[in-house]
Amino acid sequence: MRIIGPDELVFGVDNVEASEAFLTDYGLTPAGNGRFNALDKTAISVRPKDDPSLPAPMRTATMLRQTIWGVENQPSLDEIEAELSKDRKVAKADDGTISCQDDAGFEIAFRVSQRIKLNLPGEKINSPGAVPGRAANEIGANEDAEAKPRTLSHIVYFIPDMDKMANFYIDRLGFVVTDKFTNTGPFLRPQANDDHHVLFMIQTPEYMQGLEHLAFHMQGPTELMLAGSRMVRKGYESFWGPGRHKFGSNWFWYFNSPLGTHIEYDADMDKHDGDWVEREKPMNKENSQMFLFENVEKWAPGGPPPGKG
Amino acid sequence: MTERMLLCRLADIRDGHSKGVAPDRCGRDRILLIRQGTRLYGYVNNCPHYDRAPMAWKKDEFLNGDRSRIVCAGHGALFRIEDGVCELGPCLGQALTPVNLVVEAGAVYGHDVPSERCVHGASGSGRKTGR
Ligand code: FES
Ligand SMILES: [Fe+2]
Repeated sequence: MRIIGPDELVFGVDNVEASEAFLTDYGLTPAGNGRFNALDKTAISVRPKDDPSLPAPMRTATMLRQTIWGVENQPSLDEIEAELSKDRKVAKADDGTISCQDDAGFEIAFRVSQRIKLNLPGEKINSPGAVPGRAANEIGANEDAEAKPRTLSHIVYFIPDMDKMANFYIDRLGFVVTDKFTNTGPFLRPQANDDHHVLFMIQTPEYMQGLEHLAFHMQGPTELMLAGSRMVRKGYESFWGPGRHKFGSNWFWYFNSPLGTHIEYDADMDKHDGDWVEREKPMNKENSQMFLFENVEKWAPGGPPPGKG
Repeated sequence: MTERMLLCRLADIRDGHSKGVAPDRCGRDRILLIRQGTRLYGYVNNCPHYDRAPMAWKKDEFLNGDRSRIVCAGHGALFRIEDGVCELGPCLGQALTPVNLVVEAGAVYGHDVPSERCVHGASGSGRKTGR
């Protein structure tokens, strides 16, 4: 099953204007019809919650209406259609997108991925003993850098039955467990993606089912800090971060959003292949992050004490 | 008598809208106020779903689209404005902690405002970074 990762997340929101402003300020590019693209054209789409084109809402507070997965090619899509048609109704749209519900009742869809291949430089650093990342006179601190999300990285669901949900993605769609928080849920990656996780889940009571957060990959930690600081300056509510996770190693910075979910910037996530052996740890503050910072007012060292100059 | 704190002027809160006040040292508003005509409601800015979770999606934005409910922009929990009870969302049935308010000569005061605390890393609504 050559699934690459989430291609597009579709939301039905009660404040379209706020959601559109948020996604634009977050760094996505408006592409019309409520769609907001990352650089590789993975996307978030927002529509009014009563838009009849949307799949039915869940009975919980979540505004997520559909998760669209991107697959490598048409044969992969046919394979998924055949597999899922064994025990559920799979609808097929004119453009070939297939849709159904997963075993937890989330609306999911699959299509040949609309993402484009990126060819962009990574964050370049100079490290003693290593070949310099930047040439002489090439500056590292560029306050005017665009800092645009590159690609939709991962989603995290609240789900009532972790095992049932994980097994659906593992047994039916070929996802692989990379690491696990005991009694919380596994980190999963699909076969056509070597990122540490594109899907994670947190076990919760049924009335909480929904989306905990979504994340886009940034170029690197510096770009993540730049983008996050811009959000704070615009008045958006930082929820958690910046910091660096242990599982996945990714840098993170989470914000509240009018889409009723946390929206994260992430950077520098681990990559894995079939040789990796999953780790398991209890979910707690210690295991959740390597470090956590606080953003404070800018400051500079100076001369005499204030007022004495 | 419990200690009271000056929060803002009544005129600072647009009718039908919300406002975050009493920032802690990280710039995170500790209290949210909602004004509906002559009525004023105040709650601790702390979603019952997560430990010490701030609720706005942007500075002063604590209400849902039609401004009929308080919304937590963490996971969309909806709370009644009158009593802070959560009607939908991860903290279903729980309630926001109300703040005792007094309005005197156009100024809004709060009693027992929670003490300073910075949580989850970076500051909230940007006060500290010169917004
Ligand atoms: S943090 Fe408020 S709904 Fe989850
Ligand atoms: Fe994440």
